[in-house]
Amino acid sequence: MAEAAAPQPAAKAVSCPNCGGTVTLRAAGYSVTVACEYCASILDVSQPEVQLVTRYNERATRLAIPLGTRGTLDGTEWEVVGWMARDDSGYAWQEFLLFNPYHGYRWLIEQRGGWSLGEQLTRTPEGAWGGLKVDGERYTPFFADGTARVTDVVGEFYWRVKRGDSVRTDDWVRPGAMLSREADDHEVSWSRSRYLSTPAVAGAFGVPAHTKAWPPLPHQPSPALPFVKAGIVIALLAVAALILGAVVMGGGRTLWQGSVTIASDGRDQQAIVGPIELTRPWQRVRVVADVPALSNGWVDLGYTLVDRKNQASFTASKAAERYSGRDSDGDWTEGDRSATADFATLPAGTYDLVVDYKGNNWIDPSRPPSNFWDLNANEPAPDWRRSGAFAPQIDLRVVSRGGAGGGVFFLMLVLLLIPLGIGLLIHAHFESARRAESDFAAQGDDD
Amino acid sequence: MLTLPCPNCGAPVTFRSPALPNRVCGHCRSMLVRSDGGVGIVGIEAALPFDVSPIQLGTRGRFDRRAFEVIGRVRWSWDDGSWNEWLCLFEGGVHGWLGEAMGDFMMTFERPLADAGSAELDRIARGSPAIPGRKVELDGEELTIADAREVACIAAEGELPFTALPDWRIYSVDLKAASGRAASLQREGDEAWFYDGRYVKLAELAPTGLRAIEGWQMPRYG
Repeated sequence: MAEAAAPQPAAKAVSCPNCGGTVTLRAAGYSVTVACEYCASILDVSQPEVQLVTRYNERATRLAIPLGTRGTLDGTEWEVVGWMARDDSGYAWQEFLLFNPYHGYRWLIEQRGGWSLGEQLTRTPEGAWGGLKVDGERYTPFFADGTARVTDVVGEFYWRVKRGDSVRTDDWVRPGAMLSREADDHEVSWSRSRYLSTPAVAGAFGVPAHTKAWPPLPHQPSPALPFVKAGIVIALLAVAALILGAVVMGGGRTLWQGSVTIASDGRDQQAIVGPIELTRPWQRVRVVADVPALSNGWVDLGYTLVDRKNQASFTASKAAERYSGRDSDGDWTEGDRSATADFATLPAGTYDLVVDYKGNNWIDPSRPPSNFWDLNANEPAPDWRRSGAFAPQIDLRVVSRGGAGGGVFFLMLVLLLIPLGIGLLIHAHFESARRAESDFAAQGDDD
Repeated sequence: MLTLPCPNCGAPVTFRSPALPNRVCGHCRSMLVRSDGGVGIVGIEAALPFDVSPIQLGTRGRFDRRAFEVIGRVRWSWDDGSWNEWLCLFEGGVHGWLGEAMGDFMMTFERPLADAGSAELDRIARGSPAIPGRKVELDGEELTIADAREVACIAAEGELPFTALPDWRIYSVDLKAASGRAASLQREGDEAWFYDGRYVKLAELAPTGLRAIEGWQMPRYG
């Protein structure tokens, strides 16, 4: 029968047989050993009569989180009941034993200013591909054949603990968690610790918030990894979108090809060519004009694509110009006999291309002016429009083009890859510093 | 269910099941045994030492979808500490033990040794020492002997299947498997009892009627 529920007191006081100080038992019934928080003597509290195990007469270490401090991690309140400093050949850390009567024990572990929350496992991990597996999570080996020694102890524990106690240790890690095996001659125990953010521990237990572990803890997740992962996903999506765009908007294809003739008098001319069928929902269209006879002159070229169905029109223009001559540096040429004009996204439809054009001749101003004593005075200035046997032609080619042109595609790729690359560099730097401590570090970064 | 006055102090005491013939009088701590001839006193139970266990007599919960109520407890000690074994009475009259040590819990049920069919356990039951680290095969699963030592009863309360008085000493062997399975063998003279079960989290038992502990927020389950 449940006795009427006056709450059970949470703690019990015992007095230290060495210094007489009042020692609070916060996990009565579980605790076996207490290291007196005043004189550091080790007491046995497993029996009703408190026994002195080891006498010390020193001031017990002042703890970063005093015994009895409470803090909430992941919604569960914990009280600090014990503390141990441990060391493995110079690699030192401290462990605070946390207790909640309804949730048992946890370990709050600090090393180099980085924090973890450890929990004893009641199961043994299974082997998996050279590593271990617990709760479906895979761990890879990190430290092997260590010896963890207790160098200092304060507060209460559920086993017999004293300075100098040592266990053999092996550790496995995954980002955010570490799996530890501790063995002595009698027992093997497994625990798992999860990395905690320093601000979370600072908020819960009032430790300094700005410390940053470097090199990183073995199981500390790379801060750049979420960014890199998201970056890779975004880059893949963007590339897929670009490719999809290219598919929807079509690849390069000649839609129409033909020629128009340039009048020798340089008047405004117009030609209507077509039909030009645009079949994809959207496409970019390019008109390439080539004037093989062009020399010291230019051709104004204006294009209008007119949709036969609804008379929607789209315009573009680009002149072809070509000059040559001779000066103190020798022969020179400038310009191009062909000209390219682009239409951005055009909807599907049947189009006519209206070409407005005009051939122009250019008189070289450096050419000596003709005068009456010039033997060549009667010779007319050269004019490409009439120098050939046939009237010069404009060869026109209308092509549809892919979604983003090669240049744009490349630019987008670079814009995506630069931050991703920086993220990867930060990640690689972090990972190599993290892994450098491992007993399984690659030969190269072992120094 | 049988309610009678305590033959020592007259306070009413209840026996819920013929399978649980023992009970400690909640008023005078007499250890009572029920038999066909009535209720007799076989000793005086010690006071339970102070502890902060979250379990108490009357705590209810569910294990593998079966409801149980905590109706008894034995507190045991060994060289390096002490622990509680809480007796859980399940619907239908079956009982199990909720062991509570170092903040961890395990639920085990008594099982005939012959049924376990382990030569190693049979040897231990007949008096051989159990060697920690040695493997024992049970139902095709490998268990490891985690611990073997002499333990002593400190105190008991509520209803029990046996008489557990202070200083009752038995030999106790704990076994564990990688899966979280937990078993134990207890031996006294040439008698042995075997218990089989697994580790549990308090939360998975969805307990109600937990003990209120000053200054701590009692979790609500279910």
